[in-house]
Amino acid sequence: MNLRIRKKYLFYVLLLVSSVLGAVSASLDGVISHLYIENSWVFGMAVMVAGIPVTLTIAGVLSLPWRGRSLGARVDPSFRRLRMLRRHELGYHVLAGLGNTVVTLSHFYLVSVFVDPSTVLPFFQVVILYLLVAESLSEKDAPTLAEIESSVIVTFGAIMAAMSLTGSLNVEALLVIFLVMNPAWVVLAVYQRKLKHLVVDDRPNDAVNIRTWNVLFTAGMITVAVYLYRPAFFHQALATVGDTFPWLAATMAVIFFSYILYIRALGIGKASITQAVKASTIIFSIPLSLALSGVLDFSFSASPTLLAFKLMGITLVILGVSSFALTEVKAYVFINARPGYRMAELLDEVWRIRGVASVSALAGEYDMMAKIRIRTLGKGYERIIRRLEAIPAVEEFNWQSILKEWEEI
Amino acid sequence: MVIKAYIMILVYVGKLEEVLSKLRGIDNIESIAVTAGDYDVIAKVAVESLEELMETTDRIQMVGNIKRTTTTVIEKEIAV
Repeated sequence: MNLRIRKKYLFYVLLLVSSVLGAVSASLDGVISHLYIENSWVFGMAVMVAGIPVTLTIAGVLSLPWRGRSLGARVDPSFRRLRMLRRHELGYHVLAGLGNTVVTLSHFYLVSVFVDPSTVLPFFQVVILYLLVAESLSEKDAPTLAEIESSVIVTFGAIMAAMSLTGSLNVEALLVIFLVMNPAWVVLAVYQRKLKHLVVDDRPNDAVNIRTWNVLFTAGMITVAVYLYRPAFFHQALATVGDTFPWLAATMAVIFFSYILYIRALGIGKASITQAVKASTIIFSIPLSLALSGVLDFSFSASPTLLAFKLMGITLVILGVSSFALTEVKAYVFINARPGYRMAELLDEVWRIRGVASVSALAGEYDMMAKIRIRTLGKGYERIIRRLEAIPAVEEFNWQSILKEWEEI
Repeated sequence: MVIKAYIMILVYVGKLEEVLSKLRGIDNIESIAVTAGDYDVIAKVAVESLEELMETTDRIQMVGNIKRTTTTVIEKEIAV
C-alpha cells in the first residue's frame, strides 16, 4: 500500500536538505571567485548567463512524465510541467526578481571579499530579525515571544558558529550586508512566499516554475544592471562563461534544487521560521570550509577558543530549530452559529483572529470549523477562546486539541 | 471541481494505532489528526465528486475497528 501521508516534519527535512545544498553552492562560489572570476559584477553576470540554460534544462527534464506524473512532482507534488507565466503572477515575479538581483550582486561582492563561505553565510542569517520585524508589522503573522526567542537564539548561534578570528571585516562590506543585501532578501522571501500561495490552474503554485521564472527575471535585471554600470564587465562575463561553464553550471544546478526545497518550505511555514531553520546552512558550511581551506590559500583556524565558539554556536542553532519544531499547539474548533447572522461575515470575523490558520464553512452537524495553530496552550485561551466568546454570532463551540498529525504537502 | 470534507472518526479503544496506519494508506486524504475531545481522529479529504467522497468514506469505514464516522462537507474555506 502506498503511504501518501507524510509527517509534519517534512518542513524541517526540506529546509535541512536545502541548507546542505546551499552550503555546497556557496563553497563552489568561493572556489570560482578565488580561482577564476574575481570581479563580483562579472561573476554575477556570468553565473546568470550559464544559469539560464542550466535552469531551463533541469526544469525541462523535471517536466518529463514518469509513471503517470512528471519527474518534478517528486520534488514538488504541485508541479506538472514548465509553463508560461500567468498574468496574476507577474507583479510578484518582478519584485522577487528585483530582490534576487540585489541579493545575487551583493552575494558575489561579499564572496569576492571574504572567499571563505563560513564567513559569508552568517550575515545572511541576520535577515531572520528583519523578517520578524516585517511580520510584526502585518497583524496576521505577528510572531509570538517563543518565536522571537528561538529566532534570536538561532541567529546568534549561526553568527557564533561562523565566527572567524582570521578574517577582517570592512565597513563597506558590513553596510552592503545590513542595508542592501538583507532588505533585498526580505523582498525575495516575502514575494516567493506570496507566489507559492497563489493558485494557478486550480492547484497550488509550484516551486519549480517559481524558481525558473525567478532566474529568468533575475538574469534580465542583472544584465541591465551590469550593462548600465560597466559595459566592459558585461563583455568580460560573456568571454569568461566558455572557460568556466562547468563550475558555473554546477553551482546553478545545486542552488536550483536548494531553492525549490526552500520555496516549498516557504509555502508551509512563516518566512521568519523558514529562514531560521535554514540558518543550519552554517553548520553544513563548516566541514566544507575545512575541506576548501586545504585546497585554497585561506586559513581555517582551528584554535581551541574558536572551536569552542563554533561548538556553542552549533548547539544554539540546533536548540533553536528544535524548539521551533516542537513548540506548536494545534487544534480544531467546531463552531455553531446563532440564527440571524450572515455566515460570510462570521467566517471573516473568525479568520481575523490571530492564530487561526484556516476556517471552513461546513454542511452538517457544525456550521464552521477553524484550525488553530499557536505556540502555547495559554495563548489558546487569551487569543482564541476569549475572542470567540466575544463574537455575538457564535452560539457555541467545541475545542478539539490535535495530539498528532500527518499531512500531505 | 474539488470537493473537500472533514470526516470525524470514533475508534474502538485500543485500536487507534492500527486504524491510523491503515488510514495513512488511503488515497484522497489530505491530513489525518489524532484529537482529544469528542472525536478520536479527524481526516480531511479532497475528492473530485460526491461519488468519490462516498467511496473514500467507504474505504475509511472498511479499515475495521471504526465505531462511527461523521462527514461534513466544506462549503467555503479560507486558509493561509
